[in-house]
Amino acid sequence: MSTFEPTLLARIGKPDCQLLETYQRDGGYEGFKKALGMAPVDVVNLVKDSGLRGRGGAGFPTGLKWTFLPKDHSGPIYLAINADESEPATFNNRILMEMDPHQVLEGIAISCYAIKSQKAYIYLRYEYGRSYRALKKAIEECYAAGLFGKNIHGSGFDLDVVLHRGAAAYICGEETGLIESLEGKRAWPRIKPPFPAIEGLFRKPTIVNNIETMACVKQILDRGADWFKSMGVPPDPKNPRDAGSYGPKLYCISGHVNKPGCVELPMGVTVRELIDEHGGGVWKGRKAKAVVPGGISMGFLSADELDLPLDFNGPGKAGCLGLGTAAITVIDDQTSMVDVLFNCARFFAHESCGQCTPCREGTAWMHKILTRIRLGEGQLRDLDLLNEVASSMGIIPGTTICGLSDGAAWPIKNAIKKFRSEFEEYIQTGRKSVKPSEALMVAH
Amino acid sequence: MAVLNEELRDQIRALFPNYPNKRAVVLPALHLVQDAQRYVSIEAVREIAELLELHPSEVHDTMSFYEFFKDEKHKLGKHRVWVCRSISCMLRGGEELLQHMCEKLHVHPGQTSADGKVTMEFAECLGACDGAPCVLVDDEAHMNITPEKADELLKSL
Amino acid sequence: MPTVIVNNKPIEIGASEKLNCIQAAERAGDQIPSYCWHHDLSVVASCRMCLVEVGDKKPDGTIVMQPKLLPGCQTPVKDGTVIISNSEKVLAAQKGTLEFLLLNHPLDCPVCDQAGECGLQDFSYKYGRGYSRLQEPKNIKPDKDHIGDQITLFTDRCIMCTRCVRFTREISGTAELQVISRGTHEEIDIFPGDPCNNKLAGNVVDLCPVGALCSKDFLYKQRVWWLKSKNSVCPGCSTGCSITVDQNEDVLYRLKPRENPAAQGSFMCDEGRFGWKYVQSDRRLTSPIARSKGETIAQDWESVLASLETAVKATATQKTGQFAVVISPWATVEEAYLLAKFARKANPNAKLALGNVRVDGEDDLYPKDVHGKPALPTKFTIRAEKCPNRQGVEAVLSHFAGGVVAFLTILDQIQKGEVDSLYVLGGDPEGWIRDEDLATLDKLKLLVVQDLLASPASAKAQFVLPGSAWAEKEGTFINHKGLAQAIHRGLRGPEGSRPDGRILFELLGRGGLFHAASLRQEIAKEIPALAAIGAGDLGEHGVLLSSAKTEVGSSPVVMA
Repeated sequence: MSTFEPTLLARIGKPDCQLLETYQRDGGYEGFKKALGMAPVDVVNLVKDSGLRGRGGAGFPTGLKWTFLPKDHSGPIYLAINADESEPATFNNRILMEMDPHQVLEGIAISCYAIKSQKAYIYLRYEYGRSYRALKKAIEECYAAGLFGKNIHGSGFDLDVVLHRGAAAYICGEETGLIESLEGKRAWPRIKPPFPAIEGLFRKPTIVNNIETMACVKQILDRGADWFKSMGVPPDPKNPRDAGSYGPKLYCISGHVNKPGCVELPMGVTVRELIDEHGGGVWKGRKAKAVVPGGISMGFLSADELDLPLDFNGPGKAGCLGLGTAAITVIDDQTSMVDVLFNCARFFAHESCGQCTPCREGTAWMHKILTRIRLGEGQLRDLDLLNEVASSMGIIPGTTICGLSDGAAWPIKNAIKKFRSEFEEYIQTGRKSVKPSEALMVAH
Repeated sequence: MAVLNEELRDQIRALFPNYPNKRAVVLPALHLVQDAQRYVSIEAVREIAELLELHPSEVHDTMSFYEFFKDEKHKLGKHRVWVCRSISCMLRGGEELLQHMCEKLHVHPGQTSADGKVTMEFAECLGACDGAPCVLVDDEAHMNITPEKADELLKSL
Repeated sequence: MPTVIVNNKPIEIGASEKLNCIQAAERAGDQIPSYCWHHDLSVVASCRMCLVEVGDKKPDGTIVMQPKLLPGCQTPVKDGTVIISNSEKVLAAQKGTLEFLLLNHPLDCPVCDQAGECGLQDFSYKYGRGYSRLQEPKNIKPDKDHIGDQITLFTDRCIMCTRCVRFTREISGTAELQVISRGTHEEIDIFPGDPCNNKLAGNVVDLCPVGALCSKDFLYKQRVWWLKSKNSVCPGCSTGCSITVDQNEDVLYRLKPRENPAAQGSFMCDEGRFGWKYVQSDRRLTSPIARSKGETIAQDWESVLASLETAVKATATQKTGQFAVVISPWATVEEAYLLAKFARKANPNAKLALGNVRVDGEDDLYPKDVHGKPALPTKFTIRAEKCPNRQGVEAVLSHFAGGVVAFLTILDQIQKGEVDSLYVLGGDPEGWIRDEDLATLDKLKLLVVQDLLASPASAKAQFVLPGSAWAEKEGTFINHKGLAQAIHRGLRGPEGSRPDGRILFELLGRGGLFHAASLRQEIAKEIPALAAIGAGDLGEHGVLLSSAKTEVGSSPVVMA
């Protein structure tokens, strides 16, 4: 494949890439100026036409989401930026915020203008200290330069951007969990309807968008909708609901590869290409046993499913939940899937918010079963039990309020289906995981 | 005697204009108090509630949701050192690293070293998978940490 | 009329009614189990017990069902809504939810108060799997006795429905309860040092579907299947909360609020809920007494009543207006009526007065805001007027005497010598006379006290008639807004006491037995203001006096 010229990551690593001065020298905030000269609805249509789908994990068409806001609402309308990035193996937002904060801020400014919002809240996970300081400085620069605040560029448009730090809870990445957390409450996701576009932050119409999505919005204003649509994968003619997978995407590569990192490519690259051509290949000369295609919520791909394209449709064809955050994690053939699955189950048991019954009890139960299996006391029927428990949790059967439950259930179902013989062997031989100690195996 | 001094109160009050109601300041207020005092006491929760015109339970239930905030029985050391235990770090030795560092300081995750300098914690994915295993010191990420690098890190604190 | 189809049964609902699937199914006679939903609290849809299949019947008759299950509590119904609560999918979801709820639930039934009225027991039996597949250790959580003066928490029984927390936030507004921690380790607790002692606290025990929150007053006292219940009305204030009286072998164990949208709604206050112990007081009058010159001359009902009749004829009928009757606002309408009739029969100009009306501060409105002030809209009121039937007694007095005379006036008249015979019908456990006025009673030639508890006044009286508490008799109470509700005889009073209505019935020389329903019909014919109670049976929710559209004004003239 020909080398792809990055756009989102274009400025990463350049000297002083975080400063407003260098950003403007590279043409920064011209897109925002352009937007200010358009009618807000035209900006919305531009983003719609580009085919941009949210990069946070759900893949909902961004422009379409913006149209869900009530027309002629007296306001205020809020833009809440989901910078909580906590899906395991995902770090593309961190790179954008740390190294090119103004790209993100410009996308936010454009989006606020389009949806007629004068207040953006960036909900930033606490652990991203460098991103916090980079964004804080960048926001201060913007205010000082009159890019934020009152009557920007004499357009009559006011904009305030508030940086709000989280407190290390994965569920704050769920859009209504984020809203509840921002409002100062326990991050218990809300029942829907009403959806945030109608009743969101502080019970006002709110759009929740991802960091990478914001960066894409900036690029679309600069380069146009056609440019965005010129790369990626058009809709599958057999699937009338497919909105296509367009634009450049940041793919994170981690785990057992020689060169973990983040790479920008058109949507639709295969897993194999990512590993071999961008990740330096599987480490230590080993082979890949399994690959997580988009953050652990999505499940696992087995070794013979690596030619799957990583667009919004691809992973689903292999029984995974979806593209998710497009963060692949490679697991080599010397790693036990039992240990890997245990790690996933422990994560979800730790992070379940506890509000609804199936997730609260199901995630903890699955963690306990896998603990027992890992300590050598598993039975074959535990595998069927895990499957049954996983199948009764989640938005997909409709039994939970949010999708954390689906994310918890999917890896279980995938792993047991695709690696059943390994699990059976582990159980039948009574193998025990020696490291780490039991004290480190608890969820909380 | 108030637990929150005037400076802290001013810092909390300074955030009010950012939000349409005071309740949204709960999380930032908890951060400010914990950063200053290394824990959030029951009395501090009461005073935060008073400042924000909330019931103490409305601040406390938020605080207890995030294991991030510690009460008077679990005061934090001078530094908080988190080792990631999620999938990408686990695949590259994260859990062994956590065990190593805990043994070094003779603590379990969540406990503070005897000299009060370091509280060891496990963390879920820190978003530093390009440099796994990762150690977060307060809120600065340190990547590609080997046991030797971890020892140096602890010594430097 | 909009039609909803529940399990293939079409039912009509009101054109302007806003119902959810649970309520619609109830109308159709089907139960959709639920825990976290309560019609007085916000909808959270977190227990996931009420998941059902929901769809739409199009005008052309085709039915389109939603692909996923939806919580019945958060799904409103409209014309054409189709609800299926008995399909394989729904049954499987119910089994799954119950399995999850029982996962960490301790097997406490043999020692748990809730057994016999437990939502978890009942739904597990109807919709559950029947066996556990858990092989892991259950979570253990410590019991919490500090939740409130009246409330204790068995933490590991909690199913996290959060009804209790929402009650303290939305109904009482006092926000003592909270959820701490996250995930499977969540627990209900109070903020340290702020126990749940608001005046509506006891309601969280009713709201708790399981035996997690328990009433310390009732804890381990009685198995609920031995309790017999009767409908009644709390006498504590003029709100007149509809309640049930739970007793076994004539021992009162507890009161619980009964849903009545016409009266108070769904709840009751703690003063009413726990303040009935005087019913079992050892100060209860248990023997009729007739005294002459300070000596007891009779202690059986037949002799005492006969003696009383003689005494009244002898002393109360000589001069006009010398005989006064004071009726406490704790008396029922029927008792007030009978006593008024007795008084006028004895002495046509007998004075009829209203007993002391105890007022405690101001009406207490809930919820409260964070500063303790009432927040609108008001969801519950504890009224300052601490008696159950002022309106009822006043209606009787107005009819017989043209107005309402205050007790203090009568005392004044006794002092002046205008009144020398007094018959008091008491009933207020706090008493009916101030200590400083007791001496006035010494001026009387005849004092008859019909009351509940022994007092300095009953010690002086020539005749003491032991009456019954509200829970021990049939009658009618009329609350602050003119709602006439029936109280029922839930248990028998102590040996020797009698229902007040029966005492007065016999005094009047009427044949047969005291029967409240028949008496109501008689009263309704005679007193236009009370025409509404003429049906006799006041139903579960009572009858508004205004529903009879009487000409007579409802505010009596109070003559000081």
